Amino acid sequence: MIAIHDLRKQFGAFTAVDGIHLEVQPGEIHGFLGPNGAGKTTSIRMIAGLLKPTSGRIIVNGHDLATNPTGAKASLGFIPDRPYIYEKLTAGEFLRFHAGLYGMNGDSVGHRVSEMLDLFELSRWEHELVESFSHGMKQRLVMCSAFLHRPQAVLVDEPMVGLDPRGAKLIKSVFRRMSEHGVAILMSTHTLEVAQEMCDRISIILKGVIIARGTVDELRELAGGEDAELTPVFLKLTGGTALQELDEIV
Amino acid sequence: MQPFTYLLLPAFWSSRNRARQSDRSDVVRASLFGGVGVLVFAALLWGSFWITTQLDAYEELGDFLLRIGLSWLFLTFLSFLAFSGVVSALSTFFLSEDLRLLLAAPIAVRRLFYARFVKTVVQSSWMVVVFLLPVLLGIGVARCAPCLFYVMALLTVAPFCVIPVALGTGTTLLLVNVFPARRARDILMLMGLVFAGSIVLLLRFIQPERLLRVESLPDITGFFATLQSPVTPMLPSFWAGETLFASLTGGTDLLHAGALWTTACAFTVMLSAASERWYFAGFSKSQEARKARFTRLQVLDRLVRWLPMAPVRRHLLVKDLKVFLRDVTQWSQLLLLVALVLVYLYNFRVLDLDRIPYMAGIIKNFYAFLNLGLAGFVMATVAARFVFPGVSSEGAAFWIIRSAPISFKDFLWSKFWTGLVPVLVLSLSLTVVANEFLGVDPFLKIVTAAGITFMSLALVGLATGLGARYPRFSADNATQVAGSPGGVAFMIAAVSYILVMVILLGWPSSVYLWRVARMHVRPFQTNEIVFIVMCFASAVALSISVFAYGMRTGVTALEDMA
Repeated sequence: MIAIHDLRKQFGAFTAVDGIHLEVQPGEIHGFLGPNGAGKTTSIRMIAGLLKPTSGRIIVNGHDLATNPTGAKASLGFIPDRPYIYEKLTAGEFLRFHAGLYGMNGDSVGHRVSEMLDLFELSRWEHELVESFSHGMKQRLVMCSAFLHRPQAVLVDEPMVGLDPRGAKLIKSVFRRMSEHGVAILMSTHTLEVAQEMCDRISIILKGVIIARGTVDELRELAGGEDAELTPVFLKLTGGTALQELDEIV
Repeated sequence: MQPFTYLLLPAFWSSRNRARQSDRSDVVRASLFGGVGVLVFAALLWGSFWITTQLDAYEELGDFLLRIGLSWLFLTFLSFLAFSGVVSALSTFFLSEDLRLLLAAPIAVRRLFYARFVKTVVQSSWMVVVFLLPVLLGIGVARCAPCLFYVMALLTVAPFCVIPVALGTGTTLLLVNVFPARRARDILMLMGLVFAGSIVLLLRFIQPERLLRVESLPDITGFFATLQSPVTPMLPSFWAGETLFASLTGGTDLLHAGALWTTACAFTVMLSAASERWYFAGFSKSQEARKARFTRLQVLDRLVRWLPMAPVRRHLLVKDLKVFLRDVTQWSQLLLLVALVLVYLYNFRVLDLDRIPYMAGIIKNFYAFLNLGLAGFVMATVAARFVFPGVSSEGAAFWIIRSAPISFKDFLWSKFWTGLVPVLVLSLSLTVVANEFLGVDPFLKIVTAAGITFMSLALVGLATGLGARYPRFSADNATQVAGSPGGVAFMIAAVSYILVMVILLGWPSSVYLWRVARMHVRPFQTNEIVFIVMCFASAVALSISVFAYGMRTGVTALEDMA
């Protein structure tokens, strides 16, 4: 599971994340929503260990990221929004290297690599250089690597960017299957339909502060509306009423 | 747990895959560069062999000079390695793309440090090692050194490289914790160029040519004292020189070899401890974006508003100037250019042509055209480096221009003006000031000034146009664009044009001066006047044609692209 206590991040005088609290239980898919610049990616990068928090604690499966970063990272899978993959490695080489980083070795690695490539429909490309992959294929390869070491928690930053409908469907079913196996997934996304369809609970962040949390129904109630869709609820909660002024501007 | 060397595997695998992928053009390129490399290697080997055998003839004095020479050699590399270490460490430890992948993985900071430090040492020192290899081999062969010398050479060069690179890496760690990494890179780039520029100026202004004058040679004691002054026993360069010299004569200097190894190991261990303490904080800071503090001034917008230009061109000009001024890697190279220009002008200032009184007049006028040619070459290089990449510098953002309701002609003309003004100021100053220092004939001053103005027009037009015709939007930096096949084609065309221009201006000018000097014997003939006018007219026509061809081909290429 992932637990965050009073997490803050300041860049000079600007506060990007302002004391957020969050818990993602095993088997839960937790959506992390917010408008652009709200602090989603900064929070995700702090949890992934890429950015040092100004203050606060991050616990991943019982390991404090500040005091035991290797323990925390070993049980975490991370899918960044703009993945970096060594362009001159083949998909297979990249995954085997990744397995080594997470302390996996022996004969089981080859089997696990094939299993993941099969799962994400990349088997045919195992021996091809990453540089020849499309954006969607690279995205799927990064997901292979994130699930390769059987993490207990997974961080996902914008999972659906660049994926075709078939790829998106595949990813959704993989995430669902992983959560059924007890993996805690914290997913930042702009795609509200995805959040509505997949997430057990949702946290909405605005200007670095979590302003609402709950299931889709709870959020709907919080927004005081009757809307079936998440989009109007999201807009009401994040102050998106400026849309009404569009007519005047246009 | 995998050893830290595991983290170096992607680099090896990538190189292997790249080698497997290589096609015929890669093989040709590798053979070409390999061939040049072998030639340089042979030249260095022969040079060091020759010098060592010459020194051998002076027995003890030769030994002394060789010993000091080795220390000097290592001293030179010491500062280079330290600076190179600072720059490489910024990239390998803080700015490299794969760090986000590695830092998200459960890797202990110490393992990551060792892997990255090995990479930094290799990146910073491979050039020094490649240079030292033939030099030391030449010395060894010339002195018939025992095998121990070659073994000691390896055992000396390795820790010698580690020490300054460790210092450089430590400096980077400190800098990045004070400034964001990207700002630190800018500061370093600037410092490096100011340093290089100062060295160039210093070396020139101490007037090394005085050493060639017998009357100004210092006495022998003073000479050796000067040679020895920077060689201090506290520096690793001295330890390396002493260790190698001892093994050259069949002995071993364990004290200095020990000093090298213990210092290298101690520095590595201390740096590893410092990394564990401050690396993540520094990396985290390196994620922060830079701010446009100094170039946010509205002065630029206000100044440009007064220029008699169409609003579209004005906006493009402001955008280009701001992008240029905010990229330290771009404008800082101008500092080095200024240093080189000062040295260039200073050379003309100190030319002592009056030592050959009978020829002084002719040589001065000859130099005026030599200066025109040289200023032309400087201009061509500046145009290749700063003007040619103009269109390519739009990079992935070129779609903004393509989709905007502006003509490509406007776009290209804005690039032309952005390039023309600085290039014209530079080349005109070079020519006018150098001619003033030389004291050339007033007629030549006018001809060369007019000539360089037309040459600026033509070369900037050609660079702008060919830059649009052979763009490289995916290039990482302007240097890559300048070194592309299109850039090379521009340089070849520019050099040919300059040579023709020097002939078209120099030949009739020499006829004119010759005739003026003998006016009392025979006045100007009609055919001579026609020849002079034809040559000057051809130079003007050629310049306008080159300019027009460049701009037209550029606009056409951009329109075809759309």
